[in-house]
Amino acid sequence: MAAAFPIDVSTLAEPPRIIAPAATLFAARARRFAQLAEDHALGDWLRFLALLTQAQHEAFAAIPPLSLPAAEALERARRHAMPPVPALHWQRDGAWRAALRRITAALADAAVPQAVRQSCARLEAAPEAALEALAGQVLRNEPYDADTALLPLVAAALQVYWTALAAALGAAHLAALDVHGLCPCCGSPPVASVVRSAPDMNNLRYLHCALCNTEWNFVRIKCAACDSTTQIAYRNLEGSPLPNAAAVRAETCDNCMSYLKILYQAKAPDGDPVADDLATLALDLLVDEAGYARAGPNLLFVSGSS
Amino acid sequence: MHVTRRQFFRICSAGLPASSIAAMGFSPAAALAEVRAFKLARTTETRNTCPYCSVSCGVLMYSLGDKAKNAKAEIIHIEGDPDHPVNRGTLCPKGAALLDFVNSPDRLKHPEVREAGSNEWKRISWDDAFNRIAKLMKADRDANFITKNADGATVNRWLSTGFLAASASSNESGYITHKVVRSLGILAFDNQARV
Repeated sequence: MAAAFPIDVSTLAEPPRIIAPAATLFAARARRFAQLAEDHALGDWLRFLALLTQAQHEAFAAIPPLSLPAAEALERARRHAMPPVPALHWQRDGAWRAALRRITAALADAAVPQAVRQSCARLEAAPEAALEALAGQVLRNEPYDADTALLPLVAAALQVYWTALAAALGAAHLAALDVHGLCPCCGSPPVASVVRSAPDMNNLRYLHCALCNTEWNFVRIKCAACDSTTQIAYRNLEGSPLPNAAAVRAETCDNCMSYLKILYQAKAPDGDPVADDLATLALDLLVDEAGYARAGPNLLFVSGSS
Repeated sequence: MHVTRRQFFRICSAGLPASSIAAMGFSPAAALAEVRAFKLARTTETRNTCPYCSVSCGVLMYSLGDKAKNAKAEIIHIEGDPDHPVNRGTLCPKGAALLDFVNSPDRLKHPEVREAGSNEWKRISWDDAFNRIAKLMKADRDANFITKNADGATVNRWLSTGFLAASASSNESGYITHKVVRSLGILAFDNQARV
């Protein structure tokens, strides 16, 4: 989007430091998954993820008002630069399990593989304690094995719940943490970063939370995992027919040998950090071969143990 | 799993057949075959300061090329640094044309001299350039240095030579420039704020 010229820097609005998730976020993500699925080597899987995120959208719209931290707790979190609804310690209520039931019910009616149908049935039959244990696995990012097929569904429901928390809290109550690479709302690592293309945040980079979809400003050309600025490079796929191959790069850091993907919105106006990330797994495979480890998870995907 | 300050995650070819893609009933085979046709390109983004004036706008320089393969790096784009508090991503027309300045075929890359009466520029070495500048400065200073003004007060000034330094210099080189110039008695001294 082109800004008006000439730009008067002195009166330019201060760009937002933190952006709370929008109500249309999951619906836009579902559209992006469907768009990216066209002629894609993993097209069937991406079309399934479009169904899953559409189900997230419906569960998000149906979520009841949630209990939020008290004003005093919010103030304390702010004062000590701690996330107010931390993924690992926040007392989550049953609303996330209701979201999970909505998601599994929606998928049961859709054209999905038998394996997904079985996973939905297992989750619907699972007792509360088992579901809470699975949620713990997702939130702790533990190596998963037997539950590989269940965890993306559980993660989808947890995303709905935490995104609703983040949207209800709003960005006004939040402040950047001392650890700049973690989400100021829930303390999770980012799934990717986005270089925004909008008049009030042109070319500024925001990290996108893997769990609650909050975005927070993070200086360009800096490693989100170790804060180093000295050995950053950008890798992208050459020879790929993917429509977003030029818009998604891996920001690699030779200081800690990690990477996180960066999405340039100017090159993909409909781009979504979660959808564009999973549509460029080929980039992950090549960057992994080059010796870099990924600094943040995409909760809708569980990589096999290796 | 590699754990340092935070957890790292691996997404690799060997893991894909055991990933959630396969566990949920989709085949990763085509994606694994396809990846062999792709290559990894490397680019860099580098912060710098615009050299034109003392507003000192931040710029981002985008380069192509893999240093590891000994290929020549090439700057392909320059734009305002959105994180820089002075210009917030904007640049003036001169700053916006920096790419042509960097890649200009007429760019001066070594010292040259045009002797008095000549119309030709001649390349000289850095040593010759420094010696020549020092000699000319000394001759001019010896001839024109003013120790006392009309009232007999000590002034120690040298008005016949001025000094233009660079606007993108660091604080430290600014300090050194100031010390050198002022200790010689030069009063006319600018960092191109209004060039």
